[in-house]
Amino acid sequence: MIGRLLAAVSGHVVAADALVKTDDTLSLAISSEGETRVGRSRTETAYLRVLRDGRVGYSSGSGGDAEIPELVGRAMTSAAAGEELDLFLPVPAPIPEVSTRSPQAAAADAGELDGLARMLLERLQRGNRRVEAWAERSIGLVRVGNSRGVLVGYPVSMAGVGAVVESIGVASAPPCRVFTSGSDLPTLNELERLVAEVDRRLGPPIAELSSGRAARLPVCLAPRAVSAFLRPLRAALTGHQALLGDSPLRGKLGEQVFDARLTVIDDPLAPGRPGSRPIDDEGVVSRRIPLIDRGRVAGFLADLGVGARAMVPSTGHGWRTPNAPPRVGMTNFRVLPGPENLATLLTMMGTGVMIDELDWGAGPNPNSGSIALRAPWAYLVEGGAVRGRLEGVVLSGNVFDALKELGGVGNDSTWIGASCLPSLLLSEMAISVSG
Amino acid sequence: MKDRLFDALSRSRAGYTELRVRRIWSTSVLVRDRSVESASTASETGGAARCCSPGTGWGLVGFSGTERLDTMALQAHELSLAGASRQPVVLAPIPVRVHDASAAIPDDPREVPLAEKRQQAESLAALLAASDRRIASTRVLCRDEVVETWLATSEGTWVHELRSEVSAAVLAVAEEGGNVERALGSVRIQGGWRNGTDGADALVERVAGRSVERLHATPVRSGRYTVVLDQGATGALVHRAVTHLARPSLPGADPDVLPLGTRIGPECVTVGDDPTALGLAASSISDDEGTGGRRTVVIQNGVVVGHLHSRETAAAGRQAPTGHARAGSLRGAPFPRASNSFLAQGQGTLDDLIQGISLGVYLIDALGCESAGDQIALRAGSARMIRHGRLAEPVKGVQIMGGLLPLLGRVDAVAEDFAWDATGGRCRDGAAGVVPVTSGAPHLRLVDVAIGEGIS
Repeated sequence: MIGRLLAAVSGHVVAADALVKTDDTLSLAISSEGETRVGRSRTETAYLRVLRDGRVGYSSGSGGDAEIPELVGRAMTSAAAGEELDLFLPVPAPIPEVSTRSPQAAAADAGELDGLARMLLERLQRGNRRVEAWAERSIGLVRVGNSRGVLVGYPVSMAGVGAVVESIGVASAPPCRVFTSGSDLPTLNELERLVAEVDRRLGPPIAELSSGRAARLPVCLAPRAVSAFLRPLRAALTGHQALLGDSPLRGKLGEQVFDARLTVIDDPLAPGRPGSRPIDDEGVVSRRIPLIDRGRVAGFLADLGVGARAMVPSTGHGWRTPNAPPRVGMTNFRVLPGPENLATLLTMMGTGVMIDELDWGAGPNPNSGSIALRAPWAYLVEGGAVRGRLEGVVLSGNVFDALKELGGVGNDSTWIGASCLPSLLLSEMAISVSG
Repeated sequence: MKDRLFDALSRSRAGYTELRVRRIWSTSVLVRDRSVESASTASETGGAARCCSPGTGWGLVGFSGTERLDTMALQAHELSLAGASRQPVVLAPIPVRVHDASAAIPDDPREVPLAEKRQQAESLAALLAASDRRIASTRVLCRDEVVETWLATSEGTWVHELRSEVSAAVLAVAEEGGNVERALGSVRIQGGWRNGTDGADALVERVAGRSVERLHATPVRSGRYTVVLDQGATGALVHRAVTHLARPSLPGADPDVLPLGTRIGPECVTVGDDPTALGLAASSISDDEGTGGRRTVVIQNGVVVGHLHSRETAAAGRQAPTGHARAGSLRGAPFPRASNSFLAQGQGTLDDLIQGISLGVYLIDALGCESAGDQIALRAGSARMIRHGRLAEPVKGVQIMGGLLPLLGRVDAVAEDFAWDATGGRCRDGAAGVVPVTSGAPHLRLVDVAIGEGIS
């Protein structure tokens, strides 16, 4: 289809690129009552971008070959009213090796997903819990091409399993959500890790902050909490915000901004992860991009559009989504691990709060780094040991300030979707407890 | 289309089959500062075939286009058998309906040239930038969408609906002396093109004013206050704290949060959801199972009296379906979801509510309202202190958090100035997807509420 799309606009435009993504997703969910829902969704989505008379136009659709004339027409209309931009499409280049598909995941049927979800559900089930479990696998093909000769395709697969665990009779315990995902089917070890995580979260008794309703304390963030906590950092390193907007890191390339123990990379070449890919959606070859190198700002992410506006090359971070222009996004976000295990981090903390999960919610402005986030799973730590679970905790402060002086970085790097994150010990943050 | 859907249904071997096809036409124009970053139109067609039979769970196939509908139904039936469900699906009965609401849309957005839409977005961006010298950066997104839905079931229900929605979202960043603040807002109206663009100028002025006002707002001092919520903030709270939770048997939703018969607030609190309210973004003649929408009261004078149901949850709870089964994506399954949530009006005006408050906080709009279990967090769009019965200086960082029952238990007055909120939000709910929602409410007063150290 790529070739036909490009051929249809050839001679009418200065340049064009196209992307076609096919996806076949099979999902299965088992309710706490034992009802099973099986769903399957197959899509083929085509994206076209044209450059005409100095302007850029976009279109997308899922109607297959029959829709090509309509896609072309819409892209032309879009270009007539679109942005003026000197966009330079990439030329063919060597494609790196990266694993993006597992034959086992691709072959999984409803029975196999049922087995995975049921196993997790049964392992999590207790007398005082209501458990729902799900499993999903998707397979597909990504093909990208442009009028300068790029034509690349690669297969993808993704599989995941997860659960929602509700506690019956545990006052105000929020639903506990856990999941694991990758290009291959989850292993038994990965399922057991989820079971252990749920047991660890629900195990401790309710505790109260001895310092009252508000205090400034050291905080240890577990990997799932780190994922939400670092959203302002991700925004500050990405796209328009980083290169042309009001990112606090804009213009600070090479400057020592953060603690020297913090190293962050974007890694599309990590094997078998949700963001892994050999080439981006605009035909730019993928490569690892250092973003923070031992506390120094080392790079920002761009796609072709932002790159053209900021006069920098694309880093291969263009993504296309239906009914929208390309956007810049991370692939696999990795914070490199430190030397300490979690027990050592808690010992170093002494007295403080350990947070397993943070709710980003709606509303916070990631650009400033200022946050006030609910921590539905937070624990009081005294003498380096967990004493109990805290309810109604809110973590406040500024992410960029907190990263300037870290208490420690854990060696427990864990993949959570497309992020690989260790625990982080923050020297001091504001903790408040709502009543 | 009707013949094709019923032909496909007639070939299905399942006990119950449902076929939904939807076509969505949309246009969006994004202007960043003074530059148009994109202007595009899109159209997508797809849907879902869903089946169950005696003794099975659900099987669903999501598809693109409208080809091979009979195959989709057959595959959905096979999936319902493959799931090896240990609990069969039971559906509450509904009357068979034939409903056509596909009359031409007056001032159809599809007939407005893209260039005119671009011009509209550029005008709003220019108005925003010129509104104050301290506005440093702006973003305007204008969008319109026309959705045509065809729904047929093996029971004989047939629904054909055509609807249109026009929206504008605005972000303003104000800067002065190194201090940077931002504000955002949106307006979403069901109907034709000009109908939807009417409120956009007022939105721009409001958002610009808020971003500038925040430059001089001081952070609110944490503590316990009497708080008054405007209609927007009240509506957000009502949706997230009540109607969003009043849906049984959803993955991750605790069915014990709002048990029937429980008192969760004072007499002045009556909350419900009305998908039949006219002209709102979440209004519809029918839900995605073909059940006609009906106004459903969830809390009557402080006591939980009902839930929002799909046919399946209604059967499980021995209740009648309420017409709230909504699909959160083109190819997704319907789940019980809120639509137009409301808090019924009480007595008195805003002045009456503020009068007598020596020190309090007035919350205007909601940047976000979230729930986890029975914990609720509401972040104000903007806020002012109340001093000696009058609105006083602007403050920022206002955030209310707490348990559902303690929070609603602190309501002590509901005003009479009910209004639907034109902001029109979207409710995201995990696997159940994203649906447009609206809320309507009067001003609301709560006493002795903890205002946290928040950032808004």
